[in-house]
Amino acid sequence: MLTAAASASPGLDQAWTALVNSRPKDVLRVLDHDRTSRPERLAWAVAQMSVQPATDDNMRSAESVFTELAGGDDEIAAEAAYLQARLYQLHYAQPDYAKAAELYQALAARRPESHWAQLGLVKLAMLKLYVLPDTTVAGADLLAPAEALLTQIHEPLLQRDLHLQIGQAGIELKQPLKRLLPHLVAADRVGGISGTAHEDLIVQIGVLSLRAGLPAQAKDYFERYLAEYPDNVRAWTIKRQLADAEQQLKAEDSR
Amino acid sequence: MKKYSKQLGLVLFILAYGLASYWVFTRSTPVIYQRPVTIRFAHWQIERGPPDGIAAAIKRYEELHPRVRVVQLLIPGGTIYRQWMRANLAGDTGPDIMEWGSWLDGQKDIPARYFAPLTSELAQPNPYNRGTSQEHVLWQDTFHDKLLAPRRDSPDPGQIYAVNIAETTLRLFCNIELLRQATGSVTAPKTFDDLRQILARIQAYGRRTELPITGIAGSRDNARAIAEPLFSGTLLGVSQRIDDSGILYLHNRQVLAAYLEGKWNYSDPAVKAGLQVVREVTQSMKPGFFQLRRDDAMLEFLRGESVFFFYGTWDATSLARQATFKIVPMQLPQVMPDDPEVGRYVIGPAGEGIGETSMAMYLNKTSAHPAEALDFLQFLTSVPGNQLFTDHSGWLPSVNGVDVPVEIRGFRDYRKGYALGQAPYNVIGSEVTMQWDRHFHYLIGDQGSADKYAAALDQYMPAAIRADLQSEMRNSLLLVKPQDAMIQGWAGRAAEAPGDALPRARQHELEMGQTMSEGLALQMKRVLELTAEKK
Repeated sequence: MLTAAASASPGLDQAWTALVNSRPKDVLRVLDHDRTSRPERLAWAVAQMSVQPATDDNMRSAESVFTELAGGDDEIAAEAAYLQARLYQLHYAQPDYAKAAELYQALAARRPESHWAQLGLVKLAMLKLYVLPDTTVAGADLLAPAEALLTQIHEPLLQRDLHLQIGQAGIELKQPLKRLLPHLVAADRVGGISGTAHEDLIVQIGVLSLRAGLPAQAKDYFERYLAEYPDNVRAWTIKRQLADAEQQLKAEDSR
Repeated sequence: MKKYSKQLGLVLFILAYGLASYWVFTRSTPVIYQRPVTIRFAHWQIERGPPDGIAAAIKRYEELHPRVRVVQLLIPGGTIYRQWMRANLAGDTGPDIMEWGSWLDGQKDIPARYFAPLTSELAQPNPYNRGTSQEHVLWQDTFHDKLLAPRRDSPDPGQIYAVNIAETTLRLFCNIELLRQATGSVTAPKTFDDLRQILARIQAYGRRTELPITGIAGSRDNARAIAEPLFSGTLLGVSQRIDDSGILYLHNRQVLAAYLEGKWNYSDPAVKAGLQVVREVTQSMKPGFFQLRRDDAMLEFLRGESVFFFYGTWDATSLARQATFKIVPMQLPQVMPDDPEVGRYVIGPAGEGIGETSMAMYLNKTSAHPAEALDFLQFLTSVPGNQLFTDHSGWLPSVNGVDVPVEIRGFRDYRKGYALGQAPYNVIGSEVTMQWDRHFHYLIGDQGSADKYAAALDQYMPAAIRADLQSEMRNSLLLVKPQDAMIQGWAGRAAEAPGDALPRARQHELEMGQTMSEGLALQMKRVLELTAEKK
């Protein structure tokens, strides 16, 4: 991704570590006088973007470096372009979602296989789901714009993240369960989701499947939950829902 | 003789002065050996027990690690912990490890701002468990509840920020002799209606004998504590009704959003039934209890002026060491569908799962010694470390494989039932809790009622709930923004060391967590905007 390995300087090494440890001031100190390489300029601008107090002046100063770096033809250019979009989405005092979306789109058009362009597509899809919906077509499918972007994403972990977001947005936007459930299942199949999100997802697929009239899928997920979390506080309710799913399956069989 | 002793004294003084000067000018280290690394460990569990348990673990840890000194800081929780924590973290003088709880008013942003996630370390076995039953178990799975609360309270749904040291639950501590005197029986209440009858008999006994005896020792803290499980009983059905996402366990942000979307309110008959139950029990506390704190209630109980003291098992050691009478811990009976007053609003029992571990300790992300701080947390939550804590504190351990002393085994007797969610609807946010307290007088006393209280809450809660949801959204963004820089840091390190899988794994882990948190923030933003338009 970042092509810094060959030119890594001790200062750059310290800078990355300082960013990992949320110490942007250390980065600015280390790279104060010596930031000749592209990775060093990128690290400095990232620190500038995150140093406290966060001011629009700091963001503008970071953006001028990102803009300059984005003009290159390497992975750093893609990284800088991605970060420029992040500034407009999140870091300026007043977000500009349309501008962020435009920058994500431009990056994806220019370097579609770059990790940063792929990650940018996930962020773009979320903007389209929640803050930039297509209102030009009456009764438009609210999930379709994000699903279209999903086809451009090739990294499995990012596909997973976007599937999960489309599924959750589907619930929030009151889309039909059978429309959103495949996204949740796809996210689960890629795996690697940690924390409470993993437990929530298994329960969610089970419960929503039961509500959607998919008792076989509900049963699978309830059984999996009980195997993974036999004593957790939701297990008691899930045992009852599992019994409901089994009853529905029996009824289907007897038809 | 006197002359010689004067001379001897002078010689000794000169000798001591000479030695001291020699030491000062030739050595830079203090006379008492200082270890090169000092870890500060702060918490508010200043009850009897925990400080002893932690001190025992520290003593053993320092024997194992002569370089490291661990200092235990006991900061009173009820009065100054919040201010102390905020001031020190903001001033970059925070301790390396510190306790935090999601219920601390106005402190929800702390983990996102100041603490480091432990997710990756928790996904490996704890090295201090070698040779124990937990040797090959992932650190996160060695906890009795697999760290339920740190997962639930994480500002980032993909990360775990804390490890828990103990396990606690709520109990109705009973002065059994006083119960016998007041009611003629020592039978524990099995249903909520039994408790109702007992409290009525105690009240009658107090009137009859003119003794200052109350049913339940009263204070604002104890009233809040007893309100939560009782209020939850009638909320189970409401929670199921508003659970659009199908997770059978509502996070506070979802309950807040559902209120703004008009899916429930405090005048909902089921919610009001819960308020009625809270009124019933708090009526057995002494007048003016809401101006008192937990310590006042404990003294009331220890003086033998109340039959019950309802609070956490974290007070069990203090009560056992200070009481001059026999105390029997009992379970608070729940309201169930067969309750004659409010049963029609109850769908079934509220579950406690396998209990919850607690006393959550967090790693300060600006710690000067993160590796040593993490190492101490691993020791404290290992089988040997947690055993020392349990044996010296009298508190339940958080870790599997630790022997639980016989006298506290009963604290692990948990109820099975429906899951409510992160919190009852009186503590789903700082502003909500404040409004609940501010208008509580509408519920209690001769003039109070559930109707009056529900009306007051529905008048003042919309603004409070909006503020709390805004705060939840801000907290998500607080977490998300700095992650951009951290992701770049890990990406940079991954590029420098292509053979090392860890930086790339951390980068992807952070990207996943950030995307999830961003999604939640966008959902909250949407609800806030949609409901603002309605106004």
